[in-house]
Amino acid sequence: MNKYLQVGKISLRQEIAYPINFIMWRVRNVIQILLVYFLWDAAFSSPGRILFGYDRDKILTYIFGIMLVRAFVLSSKSMDVAGEISRGELSNSLVKPINYFKYWLSRDLASKVLNLLFATIEIVVLYFVLKPPVFLQGNLLLIFLFMSSIIFAILLFTILLFIVSSVTFWAPEAGWGAHFLLTVVIVEFLSGVLFPLDVFPLAVQKIINLTPFPYLVFFPLQVYLGKLTSPELVKGFVVDALWLIVFMYFLNKIWKKGLKAYEGYGR
Amino acid sequence: MKRKIGEVKNEKAIIVRELIKNFESIERGKGLTGKIKSLYNPKKKKVEALRGISFSIDKGELVGFIGPNGAGKTTTLKVLSGLLYPTSGFTQVLGYNPWERKNSYLKKIATVMGQKNQLWWDLPAIDTLELNQAIYELPQNTYKENLNELTELLEVKDLLNTQVRKLSLGQRMKFELIAALIHRPQVLFLDEPTIGLDVVAQQKVRDFIQDYNKKFNATIMLTSHNMDDLIDLAKRVIVIDKGEIIFDGKLSDLVSGFAKEKTIKLYFSKDIDVKSLENIGKVKKFSFPQATITVPRESVAFAAAELLQNFPIADLTIEEENIESIIRRVFRGEKK
Repeated sequence: MNKYLQVGKISLRQEIAYPINFIMWRVRNVIQILLVYFLWDAAFSSPGRILFGYDRDKILTYIFGIMLVRAFVLSSKSMDVAGEISRGELSNSLVKPINYFKYWLSRDLASKVLNLLFATIEIVVLYFVLKPPVFLQGNLLLIFLFMSSIIFAILLFTILLFIVSSVTFWAPEAGWGAHFLLTVVIVEFLSGVLFPLDVFPLAVQKIINLTPFPYLVFFPLQVYLGKLTSPELVKGFVVDALWLIVFMYFLNKIWKKGLKAYEGYGR
Repeated sequence: MKRKIGEVKNEKAIIVRELIKNFESIERGKGLTGKIKSLYNPKKKKVEALRGISFSIDKGELVGFIGPNGAGKTTTLKVLSGLLYPTSGFTQVLGYNPWERKNSYLKKIATVMGQKNQLWWDLPAIDTLELNQAIYELPQNTYKENLNELTELLEVKDLLNTQVRKLSLGQRMKFELIAALIHRPQVLFLDEPTIGLDVVAQQKVRDFIQDYNKKFNATIMLTSHNMDDLIDLAKRVIVIDKGEIIFDGKLSDLVSGFAKEKTIKLYFSKDIDVKSLENIGKVKKFSFPQATITVPRESVAFAAAELLQNFPIADLTIEEENIESIIRRVFRGEKK
């Protein structure tokens, strides 16, 4: 069997090795969705209220969209890479004929497939219970583009995480700080997780759209909601792809340098 | 061209020439102010882990690599398995440059670090082994064959489906070995393979390493603090200290080269005066009726004759100084 398929398989087994933990994790997800739903539902309870140009239906769709895309894109197994480097566990993979990046990508995809499977079931159930006024996209082309943008986002985020984790080659204790900076400060702020990015003035939006961060969460969501014109779509995907290429090149360089500095700590 | 017969026999598996490895570390100051200072004015400290070592190892040889903590043993093994980038020097294993970490190279070697584990803690060992089958691209029948053989040799066949966390340390170490050897590597780097194991398990692992070496003509480099490992396994030892090789040769030569004294064990039939014994050699132990004295190698015959003539001896044996104490002396920097 292909080595990366087997990596995915063992990752799945690992995820469900403790069924109770797994179930509690899913329960947490459902409760989170319910909390957010009731919070925003209450905030927009008076009819006709509009905030940041979003009415009740739009904001609910946005919030649900954020939760889904975020859980799918920004929860990455590769978070452990920095730890593996600083603890010297990277050695285990380096002495084997396996590509470390693809190894983590496979582990990540396995966990995402599992996540998606259960999330779909939960969402379908919740949808019929709550009957929220959310927007369902019917355009097949847009759904296809949405899924493509999600795949781009996953790749982009994984590469970003790898680049940030590389800091640990030179400063083993800095891994956590670097992650915090990337995932909490920059990503949360500029990816559209905290608030829709179109609340910014147009000029600021234009600048933000040239950075890689909106392509993690905000852009895929806009694609899904059908908010973008054709030229905007094309431009978005081009910028997205350019960042991917730049980061891939950069990661390749920095990783090669990092391995030369690697000391295989721990012993 | 005609090939000499001797050439094939002496094929080199590992060649190391003038290998130097320096580590650079930044010294962190004490306390908060010191740490902040080191941020904008870092003091770099160079650690010379290997200072130009050279050696070569034939195919099928089993070599023990010994030295005190921090001598550079593990660093050498890490360079050879492609984990560390050498500062300078030449290294070649099976014709490959280890640093390139070509897949075809990695498929031929195995690295076992006694304190690093590759087994998936929450899953049974068989899952890790199946993963390695895929990673090393082993055909199903080769995999089954190797798995059978290894689990039988190490007697852990019925534990394959037990969660790794529930295994004892010894059982786990055996599975670590199986996971590392499932692709039947030609070169093994074993770093402290018996660390933390009880005496019985140590012996099992030692027997296994020896079997593996003989059966597949595998080249093995092994580091250990456990002298029994070396005495049992390695005919040749390389002693390394402070990044330099201080001895490379047969274990028996190390012993005869460094053993300046022999030990005479005595059993007396009547009580004697200890003081008079001191004229003959150094008294190490005395509790009637037993005594242990050491004498210079060259005068051992004379001392024995003297003892037999002047003391009421019931029994007398002459022994070599034990290897452990010799190696301890070597580490302390004593010269031949």
